[in-house]
Amino acid sequence: MGSKILPKWASKPCVMGIDEAGRGPVLGPMVYGCLYCSQSYLKTLSTLSFADSKTLKEEKREELFETLKLNDSIGWDVDVIDPRELSAKMLKKNKINLNEISHSSAMGLIDRVLKMGVLLTEVYIDTVGDAGKYEMKLSNSFPSIKFVVAKKADSLYPVVSGASIVAKVTRDRALREWVLDETAENMQRNFGSGYPGDPQTKSWLEDHKHHIFGFPSLVRFSWGTCNSYFKDAAEVLWESDNLDEDGGGSNNKNGKRQLKLSNVGFTTSKRSEEIESSGKGRCRFFQARKLEHLTYF
Amino acid sequence: MFTKLGGLSLEPKSVPPPKRTGWIGRGNCHMEKATIDLKRDGKDLSGRVHQLPCCVKHDGPASVSHYFKPKHKGVGEDEGLPLQEAHFRGRLLQGTTLPLPHGYSGFVLSKSSPPTSDENSHSWDTKATFQDITYWNHDYSPSQNDELFRAFHWLTVAKALHNPVTPEELASSSVTL
Repeated sequence: MGSKILPKWASKPCVMGIDEAGRGPVLGPMVYGCLYCSQSYLKTLSTLSFADSKTLKEEKREELFETLKLNDSIGWDVDVIDPRELSAKMLKKNKINLNEISHSSAMGLIDRVLKMGVLLTEVYIDTVGDAGKYEMKLSNSFPSIKFVVAKKADSLYPVVSGASIVAKVTRDRALREWVLDETAENMQRNFGSGYPGDPQTKSWLEDHKHHIFGFPSLVRFSWGTCNSYFKDAAEVLWESDNLDEDGGGSNNKNGKRQLKLSNVGFTTSKRSEEIESSGKGRCRFFQARKLEHLTYF
Repeated sequence: MFTKLGGLSLEPKSVPPPKRTGWIGRGNCHMEKATIDLKRDGKDLSGRVHQLPCCVKHDGPASVSHYFKPKHKGVGEDEGLPLQEAHFRGRLLQGTTLPLPHGYSGFVLSKSSPPTSDENSHSWDTKATFQDITYWNHDYSPSQNDELFRAFHWLTVAKALHNPVTPEELASSSVTL
């Protein structure tokens, strides 16, 4: 994360680039990276052989990252967003989409660097969603900074090219060193690139799908890619999946929505197959606590 | 295996005979006989009984210990409940473990093949016991207002209802009336 002691150049006008890596893959973290330097250093920066990380080979990216870390005239930082966090946010009852997650991550990096005392005056960033709206959002949060939100910013601006290297190398290393939470014996780590179209990734997903649990938690369950693998898995019904359905839920006393399983096609008169206790037909004390009187089993 | 709440049986720990037979009356006056063998020599599932906030259309074994990895997250800010986090099918679950009150045990029962061919007779064997339940919410923290938490209030009420009445209490009650 660079030196903890604020360098002298940071109290003069500085420029930052922000870029991400790992937005599209179905597994592993998404990483936002930033790189910043003084305005006066920009010319020198452009003479270094940074390029859009996507045009470089892995060895070259690694080499440039190490060079960058040793450069006292450059600062950098990353936000590594865990795949579990991505899935959890995108599958919330009040869903948070990937663009919102991206915006928050980028703004978090700016905030972190400002709090270090760096005098940021300009930030260059690749657009996520509508460029105009994004720029307005950023300017509202950081009025003292001039923002340039553009497509292909990683090709156009050296600070963004550098940021893309920071993000890409960080993601590659995170994935390479990933420790799977799951302890089942058949866990392999030949994920491939993680992109849905990668044959190696497809093969890994096929080999690691699980009837009950879906996949190891390295996988982004919120990706549409996962749905085709879930066809054979046990069906799981969640309250938040039925919020749009009429009568799909109702509020209990505490204002929390309760799933009515009978409204989602799960109806049965057999005692042993009922899932949800309801306390129906009993006095209010028992209904409020969903306590049924089980007289026969 | 995930346990559905309906499959749990809470019984006072102090039941002296290991086998209990109950007659259960139904509306149509047809009597059913059920036998429950509350042995304690089975597996202890304490710490491993979970109530999930979803319906899993599966009834059978699952490799829970290999895939379901709750993590302790300290104490909640609101009510001081010890918090845990876990993920299931990508969703964040927030939970807490409720110990069963003193004097109670949880039993996991399974239907056994009856020794007699009596169609109206059901026998249940104890597969395991437990002393706590961990329940999970999707998207919101566990709270003392949650249904399962409040369900335990019944144990307190039931205890009061079923306490024997002493002659002194009976006498004072009579005087009051």
